[in-house]
Amino acid sequence: MGVYTLPRSQLHLFLAVLSKRSPVYVPVKRDAIRFEPYNGTIDFSDNAYFPIKEHFFRKRETILRFDGQKLITVRPTSSKKIFFGVRRCDLTALKHQDSIFQKQYKDPWYKAQRANTILIGYHCATPPNKYCFCDGMGLEEYQDLMFYEQKTQFLVEVTSVKGAALIKKYRRFFKKANKRITDADKHIKTRKLRKRDFNAIYDHHAWTAGVNKCLSCTACTAMCPTCYCYELHDELDTLKHGTRCRIWSSCQVKAFTRIAGNHVFREQREHRFKHRIYHQIQYFREQHGFDLCTGCGRCIAACPTRIDWVSIANKIT
Amino acid sequence: MIQTLVPRKVKVLHRFRETPDIVSLTLPKVGTCVPGQFYQLSVLGYGEAPISVASYTTKTVQFTIRQAGTVTNALANLKKGDTLYIRGPYGKGYPLKEYEGKNIILIGAGCGVATLRGVIDYIIHHRHKYNDVFLFFGYRNVNDIIFKKEAVQWKEVFNFKTALSKEKSTTCHDWTSGHITEVIEGLKLRTKNTGVFICGPPRMINDTVAILKKKGFTDEQLYLSTERLMYCGIGMCCHCMIRGKFTCKDGPVFRFDEIGYFKND
Repeated sequence: MGVYTLPRSQLHLFLAVLSKRSPVYVPVKRDAIRFEPYNGTIDFSDNAYFPIKEHFFRKRETILRFDGQKLITVRPTSSKKIFFGVRRCDLTALKHQDSIFQKQYKDPWYKAQRANTILIGYHCATPPNKYCFCDGMGLEEYQDLMFYEQKTQFLVEVTSVKGAALIKKYRRFFKKANKRITDADKHIKTRKLRKRDFNAIYDHHAWTAGVNKCLSCTACTAMCPTCYCYELHDELDTLKHGTRCRIWSSCQVKAFTRIAGNHVFREQREHRFKHRIYHQIQYFREQHGFDLCTGCGRCIAACPTRIDWVSIANKIT
Repeated sequence: MIQTLVPRKVKVLHRFRETPDIVSLTLPKVGTCVPGQFYQLSVLGYGEAPISVASYTTKTVQFTIRQAGTVTNALANLKKGDTLYIRGPYGKGYPLKEYEGKNIILIGAGCGVATLRGVIDYIIHHRHKYNDVFLFFGYRNVNDIIFKKEAVQWKEVFNFKTALSKEKSTTCHDWTSGHITEVIEGLKLRTKNTGVFICGPPRMINDTVAILKKKGFTDEQLYLSTERLMYCGIGMCCHCMIRGKFTCKDGPVFRFDEIGYFKND
């Protein structure tokens, strides 16, 4: 669909103009790198600590309200959003989330947040940190525009109709380039997760190295761009009024499988630890044909004990 | 816009206390359901709970609920005419069509009998389509026995056996003492053209399957009804996952070879 160039010096001007019409979320360095509305700074030194998932599949979503036993439906609201600087792993993760929340089920709350979103990607020339393992995880094109950083300029690849319209609108910033982006340009060289039938190594003793270090703190699931488990809870404001809301949930805690009568199905930490990994790289593939995990490495980076489950899995012969 | 997570309002048509901690609620039917499927019932302010269908009738649907947690207690405290919310039906039911012209063995324990009650009602409605039907139900005490009224009819129509594991009184001999698994172990069962539907606590299911396999039943003949924590009911929230299979969507009735023995994973 065409390749354009944007001089490095023009980037901030472009983002400033872009953010006049709708909020542009860019990676910003705070305590950690987060996606926040553009405010003059941008940080590409590392992958964002928090993925963009929370803007679509929100931490807390009101499903309905009630007044006594009277149910009041809640209409999802929507606003226009632009995301700039989303890396390939997160774009693919968003595609996986879309396949669950939009294709498999028509989730109205997710759809409202996801509609009117423009995604502008940022290609990692080198892996942003040592935990990444996206090479071979089947990353896909899911953005409207993709930015490739070069010494003096950005190469901007148009990958969708939405992206082409955006370029057309802000044509004064971009110059048409006589270049083609090849598959080699799109490739990110990182370490790899060895793919196999993980069911065969479920009971392998090597996993205990990870299990023994696991604190069941749920950081891995909270940071994961693809984890999509949730809970529904009735929360009371007064004794009569309240909301039924959907909140994020984590398979790393016992309460995840605790039923009335206090029976816990995944009682041992070992099984909870393996459940997350197996859902990402085995169970999801059995159902959908592709892995849920996109190899962003956040579960390892966020882990307080740095359990590198990728190298544990790779070592198992 | 299909709001799958938003339930519909219904009123309790009939309420019956089966045992000190089990209550049956009859509600108007929502959608079409088959035995083995479940609905999400909710009392606003308390939450939702997946409850399996315990009847086979055209206009109403019955739920037999054991008071175990917050929601089930709230449900059990409802009276005739009270409002509650419902969505469903969800999941796959028992393969009743597949077993037409064959024998069926139903094995249930405790509140698990409620799920099989739907199957029994279905078979009574289509009695000519099935050959021999065996019912093996286990409870703890006499007080825990559910569907006492219905059992009178079942005794006439089917081969019916009840086992009570913890009952000490011996005044009446309508039951065998001991676990239901022990009763099955001591019986000769024909394996040819027979389907076995099992519902109960995980350990009882594991034991029963082991015994039946010893007797020569194959994996394809055994169907288990499973219980898990659920929120969505449509295969999204992932709480009910058993080794990659969703209890709400792929189950709650699984053929044994789909999930195997219950483990801790």
